Amino acid sequence: MNFINKLKELLRRLEFLKRQREFDQDLEEEMGFHLEMKIEENLDNGMSLEEARYAAQRQFGNSLLLREVSREMWKFITIETLIQDFRYGLRMLLKTPGFTIVAVFALALGIGANSAIFSVVNTVLLHPLPYKDPDRLMMVWEDSTKHGFPRDTPSVANYIDWRDQNQVFENMAAMAERSFNLTGVGEPERLDGRRVSASLFALLGVEPQLGRAFLPEEDSPGGNRVVMLSYGLWQRRFGADKNIIGRSLTLNGESYLVTGVMPQNFQFPNNDVALWVPISFNKDELTNRGSHYLQVIARTKPNISLQQVQAEMSTIGARLQQQYPDSNTDIGIEVVPLHEQLVGDIKPALLILLGSVGFVLLIACANVANLLLARAAVRQKEVAVRAALGASRLRLLRQFLTESILLATLGGLMGLLLSFLGVYLLKAFIPANISQAKAITIDAKVLAFTLLVSLLTGLLFGLAPATQASKVNLNDALKEGGRDSASGSQGNRIRGLLVVLEVAVSIILLIGAGLLINSFLRLCNVDPGFRAENLLTMQVVLPELKYADLVRRSAFYDELISRIETLPGVKSAAVINNLPLYRQGNSIGIIIEGRPEPPPGEQPIVTTRVISPNYFRTMSIELLQGRELTKQDTANSTMVTVISETMARRYWPGEDPIGKRISAGRSESGDNWITIIGVVKDVRQFELTADPKSQIYLSYQQTAFFYPRDLVVKTNVEPLSLASAVRNTVWEVDKDQPVSNIRTMETILSESIARQRFSMLLLGIFAIVALVLAAVGIYGVMSYSVAQRTREFGIRIALGAKRVDVLKLAVAESLKLVLIGIVIGLSAALILTRVMSSLLFGISATDPTTFITISLLIISVAILASFIPALRATKVDPMVALRYE
Amino acid sequence: MNILHRQAMERLSMGKDATKDSLMPGTLEMLILKTLTRSALHGYGIAQYIKQVSDDVLQIEEGSLYPALQRLQVKGWVTSEWALTEKNRRARYYLITPLGRDQLAAESASYDRLIEAIARVMKPA
Repeated sequence: MNFINKLKELLRRLEFLKRQREFDQDLEEEMGFHLEMKIEENLDNGMSLEEARYAAQRQFGNSLLLREVSREMWKFITIETLIQDFRYGLRMLLKTPGFTIVAVFALALGIGANSAIFSVVNTVLLHPLPYKDPDRLMMVWEDSTKHGFPRDTPSVANYIDWRDQNQVFENMAAMAERSFNLTGVGEPERLDGRRVSASLFALLGVEPQLGRAFLPEEDSPGGNRVVMLSYGLWQRRFGADKNIIGRSLTLNGESYLVTGVMPQNFQFPNNDVALWVPISFNKDELTNRGSHYLQVIARTKPNISLQQVQAEMSTIGARLQQQYPDSNTDIGIEVVPLHEQLVGDIKPALLILLGSVGFVLLIACANVANLLLARAAVRQKEVAVRAALGASRLRLLRQFLTESILLATLGGLMGLLLSFLGVYLLKAFIPANISQAKAITIDAKVLAFTLLVSLLTGLLFGLAPATQASKVNLNDALKEGGRDSASGSQGNRIRGLLVVLEVAVSIILLIGAGLLINSFLRLCNVDPGFRAENLLTMQVVLPELKYADLVRRSAFYDELISRIETLPGVKSAAVINNLPLYRQGNSIGIIIEGRPEPPPGEQPIVTTRVISPNYFRTMSIELLQGRELTKQDTANSTMVTVISETMARRYWPGEDPIGKRISAGRSESGDNWITIIGVVKDVRQFELTADPKSQIYLSYQQTAFFYPRDLVVKTNVEPLSLASAVRNTVWEVDKDQPVSNIRTMETILSESIARQRFSMLLLGIFAIVALVLAAVGIYGVMSYSVAQRTREFGIRIALGAKRVDVLKLAVAESLKLVLIGIVIGLSAALILTRVMSSLLFGISATDPTTFITISLLIISVAILASFIPALRATKVDPMVALRYE
Repeated sequence: MNILHRQAMERLSMGKDATKDSLMPGTLEMLILKTLTRSALHGYGIAQYIKQVSDDVLQIEEGSLYPALQRLQVKGWVTSEWALTEKNRRARYYLITPLGRDQLAAESASYDRLIEAIARVMKPA
């Protein structure tokens, strides 16, 4: 019943809030009436009108003030009490500067870290993409999982059919990679570009900043020498020239007309793309179903769900499989919303980091709560006096909560400052290929988040101590020499609970970090198949027009390599189409001689690398059998290949593959056979975490399947010191040949595991912070407990207990708590680390070694943290202790 | 009742004599409730009634009366409504609620106990 009454009271107060003005008017009228009656009374008593009024007024008093006071009766909290609480709280905090500084600092760390990570999450995961209605944008992929390519780039003919047959998309566009050599404007430069459907920009809903986008008629083999520039390129190479529209540029030796410039924040598909040309499929491309290299983006019609879209496309995919079994068997369609495409793979890691940093804050809160509890215990007398003077329990509670929130707000402000630093550091170390990584800032949402977190934090750590403190037994506390009432068991219980919580949460974080560190170390130990030291790499992409045939290309590479190898400090040089760990792609389907032809669409698919003879030596890739490719393997001699050991093992288990023959594509005549002449050790082509795939190496003189693009130079000295020498050598051979992406192989290797390193570092930092905070917490509780048990220790010592025994006694207490915390933490970790399994490599999420190691770590830290207070226990002077009252 | 309220009451009361007895707030509320069991009254009427019945001993200041009336309303022990007096003037009348009657009974009982206890102490030895 009482509860219902309280509820009704609450509702009445809320009513008042709603109807304040009405209330005021009523009160004014009521008091006016009262005054009039008073005046009448005075008149009846014989006063004159003047006197009557005067006397009545005087007696009534200040009606304005009275109205104010009456109003206040209805309010939940008056501004006055709030200000009072605030000033009181501030005063108390300033009185104990040591406590305040420690608490604010702990909170600042926790809140600041949370804000920093949240700003990353905010920008990378939560920002909407800068296109019109971005929720309706989807990427459409070929689903070739059965062939080993889950999200594969579609072929042109498939794309055309998708576009023409679907009912769910209002628009579809395709993109293909194309690099361009820009010449004729100073230093030649290689630019990353894209061939795109003319409808792409309209599909995305972005207007060019200058000029216009492509016209439909320009998207055909005849009218396609037009180009659109990115803002970055326009700024950088053309000085933001407003007259750029209509100018001609020489790209790959041909003249292109500039029709438009895109706005500054437009980066599609990524930051590196500098220009766009119409895709203009030629006749061959339109019917090609076997070469897969497009990226397809589409906009759904309004109000269609992802399921509907996927279902329709799957149907189309199945239909195409039936119609074109040779090329499309087991190739389905996968539709992926654009946003997920961009951030899907980083989402789990970021969310785990957000959760972890939340845990750190939790531990910080527990520490501060403990501090507050200890402090509350000391303030019992003050609280008792105030209660005796009439403060209600609610008022006291509010008072203490205000203090906590004040503390948390101070912590939050400092935390905000720290988070600026944090964001700066994060941006410096975050892997560059995370979408929008450069745009991470602290914006309004982050500020709001920080504020919210501060308030919640204040409530969280303030509630328990405030409840504890406001609960007061007047008699006990006011007794002369009354001891701190929190020597009462309840205070101790809460404190113990907090320590258990801290230990448990720390364990979770430490295990998480331990698993990531372990995983990362294993990753670093993966043998990539080559030696990455002292290797200089750069991209040298020959334009097709200038180097139209194999002979001219080969001549270029021959000359380039021989010149480079004469440079001082160079051991050897080579070229390849795709350096390992750098680019995906470039595979072909093969047929093995003497084996029954596989059903259509089930040909073995192997990654194909086109190399110069020195490649294996330059990269220190071990030859296991047979011989390498040499200069003697020319266009006129038998076509030969060196295969990887995985491929040998897979297709010729137990046999010698040397001398066997394979062919690319379906056999029509016998002329396409390629003879296997050697086997090399596996090289990790795509990712260190992935198993090596079947791979063939072909000579650059013998094939036009793919062209070398990457130059790699083995040096005796620091690789980058030779960068300009090598570049100049390229220009000696062809002065218009751009050179780009000059890096060392070690950098490439390191960047390939940048994400794992990033997650590991961050989680590691959080775990260490958590450990330190937990250690501080244990230390605090131990100190307090020892201080409390001074008497007990004094008696024991007086009765003959050895110092060692007292030490053991003191430490045992905290160890008990720590052990409980460990058990809880380990159990929770067993469940929680499963969330991380996608981030781990070569180690299970419940790896026993890690779990055990971390447990031992925490036990040692706990013993260490309890040691100093425990020592103090042994130093207790029995005489002093016994006399202490 | 919080300290602020008490201070307010002290500030506002302009008692004619310093010798006038001051009432504990709880007691004042009890008196008001009791008054209202007789009949519904407006603020002036409540003060008048108490003054008359107590033979001028208890003179309730407006500064105490109105805050008390607000609190009684907040707690749901009285309700109020506007009506016309005999002289056809608009005034706010207060009525006691069932909840208020319960409260009155409780306060009254504890008040009696208090008085009895004091009396026992003061009995001539």
